[in-house]
Amino acid sequence: MRGRIAPREAAAAPLDVVIAIMAFLAALALGASLIAERAAEGWREGLAGRLTVQIIPSPNGGAKDRVMAETRAAAAVLKTTQGIVTVTPLSESETQSLVEPWIGGGALIADLPLPSLIDATLSPGAKIDLALLARRLKAAAPDSVLDDHTRWIGRLRNLADGIVWSAYFILALIAIATAATVAFATRAGLEAHHDIVALLHQMGARAGFIARAFEWHYLISALLAAMIGAAVAAVLFSMAGGLELAGIEPVPFLPPMALRISELAWIAAIPAAAALIAWATARISILAAVSRIY
Amino acid sequence: MVRFESVGMRFGSGPEVLRDVTFVLEAGSFTFLTGPSGAGKTTLLKLMYLGEPPTRGLINLFGNDLATARRADFPELRRRIGVVFQDFRLLDHLSAFDNVALPLRLAGRQPEDYEKDVDELLGWVGLGGKLNAKPATLSGGEQQRVAIARAVVARPDLLIADEPTGNVDADIAQRLIRLFAELNRLGTTVLIATHDRVLIERTRAREMRLVDGRLVELRAPRA
Repeated sequence: MRGRIAPREAAAAPLDVVIAIMAFLAALALGASLIAERAAEGWREGLAGRLTVQIIPSPNGGAKDRVMAETRAAAAVLKTTQGIVTVTPLSESETQSLVEPWIGGGALIADLPLPSLIDATLSPGAKIDLALLARRLKAAAPDSVLDDHTRWIGRLRNLADGIVWSAYFILALIAIATAATVAFATRAGLEAHHDIVALLHQMGARAGFIARAFEWHYLISALLAAMIGAAVAAVLFSMAGGLELAGIEPVPFLPPMALRISELAWIAAIPAAAALIAWATARISILAAVSRIY
Repeated sequence: MVRFESVGMRFGSGPEVLRDVTFVLEAGSFTFLTGPSGAGKTTLLKLMYLGEPPTRGLINLFGNDLATARRADFPELRRRIGVVFQDFRLLDHLSAFDNVALPLRLAGRQPEDYEKDVDELLGWVGLGGKLNAKPATLSGGEQQRVAIARAVVARPDLLIADEPTGNVDADIAQRLIRLFAELNRLGTTVLIATHDRVLIERTRAREMRLVDGRLVELRAPRA
């Protein structure tokens, strides 16, 4: 025979709903940051160690033969450059297929003055003087432009960093909002149970004992509510992965929306974090309230 | 055990409800606190069980001057006091057993250590068959007996009771007073606020009388 000193809080259901929603939003923000991080890494890996040379057609529609000649000359320069292991000029159809997802196929592409592209792969760890290479290419093929993708990778990295930091900011806001909500609910709960708190205090209970009597309710309640919110978010991410597996074509360049198992583990940490925030907030609120009693 | 020196008390900016109250409760004494309604009896008890600080004067409890004692020591002092509140203050969601066991739980004792004591005490106050009853299902007199059992279960050094026999019949009142007397015999200092003249006459204990917040009479125990 040993009843709980603090009664069960039937009136705490609204708090549970708020925490479940907060956990859901936190899981979405965290998932987005993980996907952005992974995407940036993928883009970086895909483009690192590669060079692209473009032979830009003359604006007044110069002869195709000249473009082809410059392409061959540039490819020759690349092949003789230390550190470059493969040199692959792209055919006209391969170049067209690169822009097809954005502007569609058909006659329009055929009329476009697309550059001739050469894809070059570097040996791992190769150090190439890009300025010298660009000058050598210009000498051999005056319409050539060398691109080592640094700018592109940098912009992608910035985009991904922006998404990740935005997600962290949102997570911090959610944590603050959760703490504020729990503090408010704790104060309301203590107000409702003032008689119990006052009696325990009067009988010689220390503030820590009173806090322990009440804080567990908030910890368990937040843990269960946050588990529901995070689980719904995890299901949504899994469903997004299911669509991709079912062959529904993803948006070009956007990364897969499904989370990996290791990434889902981060989502699983959200209920623990919510429970910790709720527990600490409730404890601090209760200790502060008890300290104000004589 | 307890010493009040020129103690005064007012709530907010209202009039003083206690004025220059001075007395000593010796260890092991048994005292009745009497006086008309509104005389300040409940306020005096409240100061004694550390429910409020006085607005002036000195209170010394168990050798500790409350004005200079550390707040961190108050819980320890409060655990040495058993209080029977006039409005009982039972926890509605706990059974009679759990209400009575509360001071023992606060003292850190384990259920297996105190179950027998609590059962016996509830039997003694005539509630042996209602261990699991919630306060809402008990009559006023039964709730009062649970409150009394809770106040005495930890064998406090000081027992303070505010009208502890107000809701019970004469037989139960007599039984409860015997319980207080037995506790007093074992060393507990007892202070009971009451209007019950019959009880006072029968017990022949010391009497302190309050009128308009002043202690007007201190009558020694009669032989």
